[in-house]
Amino acid sequence: MSSKKLVSPIRIVKRDVQNKWLLAALYGGGILLAFLLGAVLLSLLKVNPFEYYGDMFTIGMIGNRYFTKSLENWIIIFVPLVITSLALSMAFKMKFWNIGGKGQFIIGSIVASAIALTMKPNTSPFVLIALMTICGGLSAGIYGMITAILKVRFGTNETLLTLMFNYIALNLLFYFGETQGAWNIFLSKESVRPLLAKFPENAWMTTIKLGDFNLNVSLILALVFAAFMWFYLAKTKQGYEISVVGDSISTAKYAGMKVNKIIVRTMFLSAMFIGIAGAFNVSTSHTLTSSMAYGDEGWTGIVVVWLAKLNPFAVVIISILLSWLRYGCVVAASSYTTVNSYFADMLQGIILFIVLAVDFFIKYKVVFTKRENAVKEKN
Amino acid sequence: MDNLSLITNFLFFTVVYSIPLLYGTVGEILTEKSGSLNLGVEGTMAVGGIFGYLVGASADSLFLGMVFAFVFAALLGLLFSFLTVTMQANQNVTGLTITTFGTGLYFIVRQGVKEITPLLRLTKMKAAVNSLYIKGLSDIPIIGKVLFQQNILVYFGIFIALIVWAYLKFTKSGLRLRSIGENPAAADAVGININLYKYLHIITGSGIMGWGGFYMCILMSGDFAGSTTVINGYGWIAIALVIFVNWNTLTAVFGTFLFGLFRSLSIYNSGIAQAFPKVFGWLTAIPAQFYNMLPYAATALVIILASINKRKKTGEPAAIGLNYYREDR
Repeated sequence: MSSKKLVSPIRIVKRDVQNKWLLAALYGGGILLAFLLGAVLLSLLKVNPFEYYGDMFTIGMIGNRYFTKSLENWIIIFVPLVITSLALSMAFKMKFWNIGGKGQFIIGSIVASAIALTMKPNTSPFVLIALMTICGGLSAGIYGMITAILKVRFGTNETLLTLMFNYIALNLLFYFGETQGAWNIFLSKESVRPLLAKFPENAWMTTIKLGDFNLNVSLILALVFAAFMWFYLAKTKQGYEISVVGDSISTAKYAGMKVNKIIVRTMFLSAMFIGIAGAFNVSTSHTLTSSMAYGDEGWTGIVVVWLAKLNPFAVVIISILLSWLRYGCVVAASSYTTVNSYFADMLQGIILFIVLAVDFFIKYKVVFTKRENAVKEKN
Repeated sequence: MDNLSLITNFLFFTVVYSIPLLYGTVGEILTEKSGSLNLGVEGTMAVGGIFGYLVGASADSLFLGMVFAFVFAALLGLLFSFLTVTMQANQNVTGLTITTFGTGLYFIVRQGVKEITPLLRLTKMKAAVNSLYIKGLSDIPIIGKVLFQQNILVYFGIFIALIVWAYLKFTKSGLRLRSIGENPAAADAVGININLYKYLHIITGSGIMGWGGFYMCILMSGDFAGSTTVINGYGWIAIALVIFVNWNTLTAVFGTFLFGLFRSLSIYNSGIAQAFPKVFGWLTAIPAQFYNMLPYAATALVIILASINKRKKTGEPAAIGLNYYREDR
């Protein structure tokens, strides 16, 4: 037989030690390559890439008297993304594929909005926002926990089920956003067309005035949450349990852990925090939004967690970078007619493709096998 | 007669608007049977759609459009197989990235080509997808229009579904493919070239999805430049449909029309309720968004019921979503 021809001269072996410098160089090179490819596409669309990237990276702050406004707008995008990503990293660390972030975000937003629009207008802002956060978080937590219970009880595939739950939630959002009726508290009473109502002022996320800049309190809360998540995952018993279950369920069982309880609890918390991100989002933007893309933090969050390799600090850094890129593209889109803000999606996609490919060289190494070994192995 | 034509139109457009789902579903079934879960259907359809449309419309040829829709979508399939099969990347993340990238590229290109629109000719391509007329059959009331006056791509989609069904069920390579999806280590042990099989079927599957996107671009949007057509969730419904029809492309033909029926009910419900107030009056009581949600809810139910009822053998490949790394055996 032609066994010699079948044996490849290279072999792929798992790498034991990770070289940090190699990792940084490969990732850095990869991201650079992504921007280069983006530049090629921009040139094809007859846009000067230097100018475009210039506009993108400065998010319109240069030469703008109201540059603080740009920063405030970026925070609106950053906060829900970083909270969602941190929350997703809990589930992913346990190897539980929660791709239902979009749906959980939407449920949290809807419930928080319902609270904001039904409570008495004289409720104190602190009580109201706390109530929105708690109810939004709990409802999303329960929505996510359903999949975890089914998973531990019947072995239901969580990837596909959370995916379906996204679109059930999305259509619920469309229903509230498009259907007029006396019962529908979400719509503005003044408007003839269905228009989502603006929240009363006591439901607006508090801001602290620093000169021209309005510091949104949710930013501080998000950073505190990041520190908490680091502590929770790295230093607590529950965090340890999550990583053991993620590594091997049989090890966890052998060690006497209640695996089912851990999975359900972690998924509840993960979904709950995503719901809180949704509550913060509606409170910061003063209204619920009904669009196909609403809650896409659930998708982008997966990208963030993957790029960050589950490290909470890296999650914060990458959330900053990706939200900066996304907002930068929104800003840049206003000055170029041929490029719209979807450029961010494309660039993000290329970056992730390259990182996914690079990951291979981090996990595995290529070894050249000698012919004799190769033949021996075949036999 | 008025009511009759209402029902006829309702069913006719149900078929017209649900066929892209069939393309997406058949492509995804072929992919999943190799043990790979490609969540990039939405992005793959978008890319195949727009590039197929651009080539087809500038050459004014349906054939070239079909070829290039397949090729460009297949390129994303190649990327998916390279990353997940060769580079061992996580399938969920890779698939989602394909969707993000593909839809992003779709919108960028669509925005970018607005200027060259005058170069795009549609006369012959549009004529090629006109409704067919089969003497005798097409004249039957209701059924004639619904079943025998569709455009050629409707029949082509059903044809592809039948071919893939026969391929998976009766051919040797179809059997091998299924064995890879069930137990790659065992398939490897009997000497099947796992990587080759995975590459070929993921790439072909993606190409078929691309036809679905192409169909949407030429038959569901009219004038492309001014339209707002997106692959608006069809890719996700296709993934749902794969589960709903239990990984069977023959059942997928019927599943497609059931899901399509839900979608067109969200538009036609009031018309039907008015025409038949006694029988279908209740249709208006149900909001349109509920009909749009039904495919996902039905699939969620199927996922849950299938996991509860373990004794029943499902068509789900056992090794789905797991990468095969030989040294881990």
